[in-house]
This record gives sequence, C-alpha cells and structure tokens, in this order.
Amino acid sequence: MKTTNISSVDIEKYRKLVQHYIDMHMHETALYWADKVVSITENPRDIYWLAQCMYHLKQFHRAVHLLRTKNLEKTFILCNYLTVRCLLAANELNEALNVVNILDVEIFPQQNLPISNNTLSNFDTIIFDDRPKNQVYASIMFLKGRVLEAMDNRILATECYKQALHCDVYCFEAFDALTRNQMLSASEEEELLKSLPVNEHCSTEEADVIKLLYESKLKKYHAPTSISKFTTKTLHADPILLQDGLLLNITPNHISNLTSTPNFISSPSISTPNIPKTIDDNKRKEKNLKTMETDSLDDRNLCLEKLKGNNDILVSQAEAFYYNCDFQKCSNLTDSILKQDPWHTACLPIHISSQVELKETTKLFLLAHNLVDLYPNLAISWYAVGCYYYIIGKSDLARRYLAKATCLDRLFGPAWLAYGHSFAVENEHDQAMAAYFKASQLMKGCHLPLLYIGLECGLTNNIRLADRFFQQAQSIAPDDPFILHEKGVINFQNLEYNTAEKNFKDALEKIRRIHSIPIPQRWVSLLNNLGHTCRKLKKYEEALEYHHQALLLSPQNASIYSAIGFVHSLVGNAEEAVDWFHKALGLERDDTFSSTMLNYVIEQLAEEKPPFPGAPEGIPKYNPKESSKLTLTYSEMNETSVDKGESEMSTSIRDSIKIDASQSNEGMQVNGKTDSSCMSIEVDMIDASKSIQDENSTT
Amino acid sequence: MATSVYWLFDFVFTFKKLLFLTSSYYPFTIYSNRYIMDLKSIKIDIIKGIHKCSQRGLFHSVKWLSELNYSLSHVQLSPEELPKFEESEVELEAYLLAKSYFDLKEYDRCTHFTKDCTSAKTKFLFYYSQYLSIEKKKLDNMTDSNCPPDPTKNDKLKNLCAQMQNDFYQNKLDGFMIYLYGIILKRLDLIALAIDVFTKAVALEPMLWCCWFELGKLVSDKNTLSLPDHWMKQFYSSHACLEQLRNDEALQICQSLCTQGFENSTYLMSQFALGHHNNRDLDKAINMFKKILEIDPYRLDNLDTYSNLLYVQEMKTQLADLAHKVVSIDKYRVETCCVIGNYYSLRSDHAKAVLYFRRALKLNPQFLSGWTLMGHEFMEMKNTNAAIQSYRHAIEINHRDYRAWYGLGQTYEIMKMYFYSLYYYKQAQQLKPNDSRMIIALGETYEKLDKIENALKCYYKACSIGDVEGLALIRLAKLYDKLNETENAAAAFTEYCLREDDSKEKVYDDQTEFYNALQYLANYHLNKGQIDDAYTYAYKCLECDETKEQGKALLRVIATKRMEQGNEMKMEEPIENTSPPGEANSSDMNFSLMIMENQ
Repeated sequence: MKTTNISSVDIEKYRKLVQHYIDMHMHETALYWADKVVSITENPRDIYWLAQCMYHLKQFHRAVHLLRTKNLEKTFILCNYLTVRCLLAANELNEALNVVNILDVEIFPQQNLPISNNTLSNFDTIIFDDRPKNQVYASIMFLKGRVLEAMDNRILATECYKQALHCDVYCFEAFDALTRNQMLSASEEEELLKSLPVNEHCSTEEADVIKLLYESKLKKYHAPTSISKFTTKTLHADPILLQDGLLLNITPNHISNLTSTPNFISSPSISTPNIPKTIDDNKRKEKNLKTMETDSLDDRNLCLEKLKGNNDILVSQAEAFYYNCDFQKCSNLTDSILKQDPWHTACLPIHISSQVELKETTKLFLLAHNLVDLYPNLAISWYAVGCYYYIIGKSDLARRYLAKATCLDRLFGPAWLAYGHSFAVENEHDQAMAAYFKASQLMKGCHLPLLYIGLECGLTNNIRLADRFFQQAQSIAPDDPFILHEKGVINFQNLEYNTAEKNFKDALEKIRRIHSIPIPQRWVSLLNNLGHTCRKLKKYEEALEYHHQALLLSPQNASIYSAIGFVHSLVGNAEEAVDWFHKALGLERDDTFSSTMLNYVIEQLAEEKPPFPGAPEGIPKYNPKESSKLTLTYSEMNETSVDKGESEMSTSIRDSIKIDASQSNEGMQVNGKTDSSCMSIEVDMIDASKSIQDENSTT
Repeated sequence: MATSVYWLFDFVFTFKKLLFLTSSYYPFTIYSNRYIMDLKSIKIDIIKGIHKCSQRGLFHSVKWLSELNYSLSHVQLSPEELPKFEESEVELEAYLLAKSYFDLKEYDRCTHFTKDCTSAKTKFLFYYSQYLSIEKKKLDNMTDSNCPPDPTKNDKLKNLCAQMQNDFYQNKLDGFMIYLYGIILKRLDLIALAIDVFTKAVALEPMLWCCWFELGKLVSDKNTLSLPDHWMKQFYSSHACLEQLRNDEALQICQSLCTQGFENSTYLMSQFALGHHNNRDLDKAINMFKKILEIDPYRLDNLDTYSNLLYVQEMKTQLADLAHKVVSIDKYRVETCCVIGNYYSLRSDHAKAVLYFRRALKLNPQFLSGWTLMGHEFMEMKNTNAAIQSYRHAIEINHRDYRAWYGLGQTYEIMKMYFYSLYYYKQAQQLKPNDSRMIIALGETYEKLDKIENALKCYYKACSIGDVEGLALIRLAKLYDKLNETENAAAAFTEYCLREDDSKEKVYDDQTEFYNALQYLANYHLNKGQIDDAYTYAYKCLECDETKEQGKALLRVIATKRMEQGNEMKMEEPIENTSPPGEANSSDMNFSLMIMENQ
C-alpha cells in the first residue's frame, strides 16, 4: 500500500484487517473497519475499499453515492470502474454509460490509440497499485461493452469487447460474450482470432494454449471446405480418424507423437423439412481444431493433452457431436462431464438439447427439477423445464416456462428458438416467426433463426420470402447442408426439380464428407426428398436407390414405403407396388395416398395381368382328356350290362372312342400348343392324350 | 468300431448315390454328390459349435446341435479327438458376471456390466442382452395392452440397429454379432440387407444353426447365394426347400441326409413330416409324427402341424388325446396353445379356439400358424375385420403363407372388394401353382368381376391340374356356353355328366346343376340333329322335378323330329353309317339302368 501521509501504525493494521475480512467474505466486518479507516484518513484508496465492501454487500447505490460525492470517479480509474459496476448492477444503465464516458473524455482523451506503456504512463498516478495497465483497460472496455449490450446497443458493445480482447488476450469474458451470444459470424470470429496480439502478450507456449482454448470455442457451421484452409496448420487432418481421434483425446495416456487430431466439422441441426423439432440451444458452432507440431516439446504436448481433458474442451467436442447429429455420442460425453461437474453451466445447454433429441424424458425431468431447486434464477433452469414440457408435447406449459427463461436472460437465444418451436409444432406459424425474429435479432451471427423463419414462410406458402430468408442464412453459413436442404425443398415446391436435385445433392455431398458410410438418421428426409425429386425427373432407378438408402437409416417408415411403392407403380411394376403399399398401410392404416394408390394399382393389375403365370392367350379349346375315363364308364357299363355279349361290347367301345376322338380331333391340334405353354403338364394328362393319339393312329 | 461304422455308412452312401444317378426323376443329385460326410469331423464340429453357442446364450442353436449330436451317438470319438476348451482370460470376470445375469434374464444388468468390454464374447452378450431386453419389454407390455406391439414405436430397436450398423461397417463384429445384426435388420423389415448379413455370418460361423434357419426363412427363391460349402448347408437346403414349398426336393435332401448317418435325428423326421404335410400326403405325415412321438414323447416342436393334420383328417379322438398330452407337458408353449385351439375349432367352439390362438400369440407374436389359424377362426365367426388383421400379421411374418393369402382373398370376397380378393388369390395361386382350390377361387373372382375369359382360363387350368373338389368342370362348361363356344361347352358338359354319372352313388346336393347340364346337352344335340343323343339326355331330364317339363317338351320335339328323320332314314339307309344307333343304344341302356337303380 502506497500510503505515505499516514504514519500511524494502527491505520496500517486496520487496513490489513479490512483486506483480511474481505478475503474471508466477512463483508460486514470489513465494511465496519473500512468505514473507520476512511473516517481517520479520508484517503481515496481507503474510500475505494469501503466502496468495495458496499459492492460486495450489494449496497450499490450507497457505494455509488460514496464514490460520487468524493468525485473519485472522475480522477481514479479503478474508482470509475467500480462506480460503473455498481450502476450496472443496480440497472442504472444511462448513468453507468455517462460515468464510463467520463473516463473517455477526461482520462483517455485519445481513446482509439492502442494501449501501450507510453500512453498509460500519464495515468500512473490514477491507478493505485501496480496492476498491469492493459488488464485494467481491458476490464473497463469489457464493462463498457456490458453496459452497451444491456442497453441493446449490440454493435457498439461488440466493438468494446473486441477492444478489450485486443488489450488483454486473457480476457475470456469478452471473448465469451462475443461468441456465446452469437455476435459475430463465422468469418468475423476467425478474423478476430487472427488479429489477436497473442504472441505479444505471452510466450509461444502460452500462445498455443490460448489458441487451442479459444479455437475450441469458435466456429460455426464448419463446412468441409474450410477444413482445407486449416490443413496447413494441422499436420494431419484426416476425417477418417475422427472416431479414433476422439478416443485419443479423452485418454491422457497417448501423448507425444499424436500428430493427427480430429477435425470436428459441425453443422447446425435442424429438422425434417416440414416440422422443426430441433432445439438448438447453444448457437455456437465450433470446430475443434487443434494444432500440434511434432517438434514441440514433450511437456508442452503433455500440457496440451491434459487440457484436452478439460471440461470446457470436452463440451466443445460434445457440441461438435451434436451438430453432426451424433446425439447418442454427445449425450454420453455430456453425461460424463456432468458426472465430474454436475452444474457445469456451459455443458448444460448442450446436454439438455441432446436429451431433447433422444427424447429422454425422465432424465430431463430429473435434471430440470434439480436445476430449478438449486438455481431458480438462472435461465437455463427454466429452459430445461420448458424443454421437458416441449418433448412430452405440452406446448402450452413449455411456452410458459420458456417465456420465464427469456425473462430471466433476454439474451438466451436457445430459449427463444425453443419458444418458436413450441408454436411451430402447433402450426402457429405467425407466432413462431415472431419468436424466431426475436432470436435473429439477438443472435446476429447465427443463421438458425433465419433458417427457421424461412421454413415457416415455406409452410405458409410464402415461397419467395422463404427463399430470401434462406439466402440470408446462407450468407452467414454458406456451407450448411441444412440450408441447402431447405432450399431444395423450396425449389421442389416451385417445381424447379433440377435445382432442387442440385441442392439436395450438394447437401448430401457435404454430409458424406463428414460422415463415413452410415450417415445419421437425421438425414432421412434429405435422402427421401432426393428420391422424390429424382422421381419427378423421371430417374426412377435413382429414386428407388435413394429411397432404399433412406429406409436403411429409418426402417419401418410408412412414408418411405409408400414412396417406393409409388415409384414402382410409375415404372409399371405393379406387383411390387402393391407389396410396398401394403407395407405402408400396415404401419399407417389411414394413409389416404397409399390406399387410393393401392386401389388403383390393384385394379390395374386385375385388368392387365394374366390370371396366372403361363395362362394361354386366347380361349382354350376344351379337350376332353378323359378318354380313359370314358372307357372306364363303358367298361363299367360292360360289367353292369351282363346280358350283352362280350365281343359285341368291345367293338362298341371302339366305336365310341373313335367318335370321341374325331369329335375332339381339331381341338387336339390346337391344344398341343397351348399345353406346352401351360407349363404344368400333368403326367396323366399326357398319357391320356397319348392314348387318344394311339387310338387315332390305329383306327 | 467307430471306423467300421463309418465305412459302413460310407458304403451305404455310395450305394445310394448310384441309385440317385440312375433315377433321373430328381434333377438335384448334386446335393448328395458333393460331400462325402466324415461323421467324425462333423461330430467335432458340432461339439465345438455347442460350446461356442452355449457360451453366448444361443440356446436354440445349442438345442438343435445337441439333438443332432445325440443322433450321432453311434459315432465314437477317442479322448484325444474330443475338442478341448479353455476359458479365455480376457475379461473373464465381466463375462462370467454378465453370463450369469443373462441366464437369469436380467438383461439390463448384463448390458450394464458389459458396456466397456471389448472381447467378442462379452460384446456379443452386450448386444444380445440389449436386444432381448427390448423384445422382452415389448412382450411384457403386450400382456397389458392385449394387442401386438406397435411397429411404429420401435425406436429403441432402431437405435440398437444404428449402433450395430456403425460397428458393422467398421468390421468390428464377429460372426455371432453379425448374425444378431441380421436378426435386428429382419425385425426392422430390411429383408434384403438381412439376407446379405446372414450370408456373411454363416460364412464366418457355419455351425450357427439359427442363422441358417433365419436365412432359410428369408430367401425367397432358389437363388444363388454364395453360401459356404459346409455340411450344414444340406440341412439348410432341406429347410429352405420346405419353406419355399419345393417339397419333393426337400424330402429328397432329407432322405440323402438320413442315409449319411443322421437317420436317428428327430429333426430330420420332423422335416419329413412337414414335407409330407405340404405334399398333402396326410397319412404319411401322421405316421411320421407318431414315430417322432414314440422316440421323443415330450417333444413339442412342430406339433402344431400335427394337430393341423389331425384336424384336416377329422380325427377327433386323436386330437383330443394329443391336446391332453401337450397340456400336461407344458401349458404355456405356442405349440400347446395351437393344438388346443385346433381341438376346440374341430368341436366348433370357435370363440374358445380364438382364445387359445391368442394365448399362443401372446407367448410369441412371431408365431406364424397362430395368426393364420386365428384368421380362420375369425372367418368362422364372421368377424372379417379381425380375420383380415390376423391374416395380415401372418403375411408380415412370412410372405409365403398361402393359407393366409387365400384367407385374405376370402375375406375381401365377403366384403365384395373383388379387386383386392383377386390379388390375394393370385398370390396364393402363385405359391401353390398346382392347387386347384386357389385357381378356382381365382376363377370365381374373375367371374364376379365379369372377366369371363380370364375366369374361363382359370377353370381350364384347374381342370388340367386335377380338380380336387370337382367344381371347375361345370363352371368351365357354363362359361364356354356364355361365350357361345358351343362345341367346347358341349364337350365339357358331356364330360361333366359322365363324371357325375360315375359318382352317382355318392349323395350330392346340387342336382339341378347336373340336370341343367343334361338339358343343355339335349338341346345341343337336338340342334346338331343328333337326335338319339338328344333323346338320351332329354330322357334323363325327366328325373328331376325342375327340368321335368322341359324334358317332356324336348322329348316331344325329338319325337316329331324322329318321325321326320325316320322317313328320311328309310330313304337313305344304305349310305348312313349304323354306328350311332349302337352308341345311342348303349348309352341309353346305361342311363335307363341308372334310372332303375335310382328308383
């Protein structure tokens, strides 16, 4: 402490007491003694500490009053800082802004200059102790950003955060504020990270760590194209190693010669083309790209490896899984994180989302209850409750709790999106759109709200508007397969099948680049839509192929069954078609399309197909094959008519046969042909006809 | 001793082979030629297979293999030939724990403790217990809701499938797990893929009988799957042939297997019985079942088929006896319930029969004949909707169940949806191309749809393949008449009349058909000027009240014609052949004699 004017030893002792009690969080006691010290010394430094105590005791106005009556906010940076903090905490935003601007005018007249020791040297006196000046400046800029953001002036706020980061790369809060609330688009984020003076602020080793940590927080919608941009940094960016890489990342044993780290390419998750089901809570899309050089020191690698086991990094990975639609893996990872740290705030949103995707109602129920019991003031708690009601299908209740979440934290984007979804599932398009609009205002750098708005427009048949929103979304996230998919759907509705096909195929290609053979189930609708489009373009083979692929991802799906049936019926494969329509109706009994198609196809079958395989063309001539039988009847008669002479009888039989044969003679010729076509020639029948022929030849 | 037995059988085998070569009736002697069965190595294979399967809890395969092994008790293995088994050390603790839970049907616990295991055996238990747990829960829920599980609520199984799919494409599965994957695919209706997967599994684990079994059920025709050349393939072939209703072929393969040393196998005997049953060789089949029950009186497998046989033969007492026996063995087996159901059905107590079929289906919703038989019962009870449901379930389980297709055709016919019933009959007919019942049903439906030509073709075909019920001919004749094909119609009617005449002794209800035919023939011959024939037929018409008047009228016309002709005849006597009167006389005699008898 630089107090020179007070020589009394007692004062020093009391000051230490104050410090001690503040450290021990016994603020009342600290306040009491600080007050006494101020009475004795009237030193600004002591007043500052007194104000500190008041701040801790949440007596914000009292602190502000204290500082302002002494005019300290105009002369001392730290006092100014504390005043602003208090005003912000007391929600007096205009005052806070005024006070923070005093600093600009009176203390930093040339505010835009980069902060260097030179510029700051003038103000040495107004900083009490030897704190690093850049950190103090960064804190102030951050605080200013917070004030501006609270006043809904997000553009200026963004600038302030950026400045804060430039002053002090360690200022995580500023970075987090920028990324978490989706203030920047992907490219802007990248730019920011590149422009950070990391190497000036810290050693190269530390720089690596910082980059690793920050990069894990960055990046949205990373499409495969942008991997190549980074492959220069990664020695080995092999997507095939994705799964193995994950294992390696978690287990700390594998260390030094781990040259390949996985690239997690995230794609935002949305829904089937028609009903948005996804809740994308955390809007950050990040890419987990870690650079490691083989020549780096072992211990540095060790440090990096250990950091990879850090929960924050793991959360980023979980998000990557989530956006890749690997919900089960994501859930497993978040489960393990939450086991370590049950209330890890960054992990909770992604955890809740994955539970929503997996429809784990009981888990979510428990989680929501615990959260609300412990943290009733956090938006996330009520968000969890809302999500629970959302997946059990009670949209009304869901909306109530989601609204509560948005009240608690107006910037909590996920809650806004979920709020919109809860309307969307009930086909309340206008209200859903309103919610999405709100979300889009809050999350400038996120394309999802725009995508959802477009979707709702499409559902209300406002195709042109929908297309415009998709264009906007695409300008934010150009490589997102979901947007391509939705655009394809719009094209399909517009009857532009060729463009639709192109969009779908682009999307599919992008997904295929991320995933190995089985792509996630989420993409069933894409494959199915591709099938529909190909069918419209009369590429029936291809259509069938896509539908079957879709079926592989989502077995026992009635709509796919009927789509396959439809293609078959168009090809003229009526029997197959009947089969598939039957299957579809077996799963969904009152599907009108399938049943009308089935009616039609079955009638067609009855009209066109022969009654049985190998049926003769014309009307077959009747051929009394049973000449043997005839003889039999006569021989029977022979027995019964005993009185007739034996020899006489035999001639009469002969005659009868002869007549019979001549009667059917012409019939026989024809029948020789029809028989062969008839496939199933019975042995006895051949015998019979043979016997007739024999008889013929003998007579 | 053992070797001598072996040689003996080998001799029998080659002898039999000669027989096959000489008999050209069966074109598929390849089955018997390709393998010369070494019973010893077969036995070693079986014992190894039993060990592997029992370690994995594949009880049915174990049972089947053990039965087969038992039938080979005459083959002795020396102690050093007996395969030795060692417990593998990897994850032994986890495996033993998991297996014990598995055996006690605590599947979820088993899953939990095998979660992180990597060895093939424990991993199999991990997946298998998951699958069984899902299925068990489905069944348990069924007892509450009293209806079969909803196929749309199958998400857990789908997830498991996705999980295995990943591992499958990364080649992390061994033969047993691939088999399990196939089972799941089959449950999810991905049949084509399932066949592929089963083929792979069979190549890896040829001793896995259940896999062959599933394959046999799925393969639809005699297509060329690339199956491994293993002696198990013959058992598979016989099973597959039976499934595809190629009965003679199946019997043939069974026969060849019998001669190669498996003659004591009850499994083969039951295959024989099934083959005879499908061939409608009912007595042979019944005898075979009797034989099986003598050897193995507590065997319940396939007894449902036996009860069907007894039912068809209306052997009430035997069926009752069988029902009592099976109940005393195990009340809660699908076969038992099925036998009892058949018993009640034979006693026309259809409601009770349904009850028992339903119980069978509760025990196993995949039990095919339960669904079909229940459909029949519902038909008896005129509950068409329920019948349709049952038949549909049967078809979902096995596409080749022609009884169910036929039943569906019947129900839709009752509901007057002829297009549908036509389609279903067609399916049945394609499965049983040589069964006249199907094709007659098809013909009737065409008639109802006013497609006379097609109907006619059907009846024609029915006649040509041997008309069991004797319905086709008269219908064919009528349709010929309808299409004005008088010649054909007359020929058919004549034959019909002759045949009916033959069976005159039998009581038949529908006399009018017969007399109408006679009347038609009388008219026909009259028109053709064959007065004697016309006279014969017209005379016969007098027998029946309905046709009496027409008969009399015809006779009068004939009499006048005769008079005219008689005059002409006298003039042209030298030219005209004398044979017709002779014929006419004889038939006349015939008919008059008949009349005498009838009176």
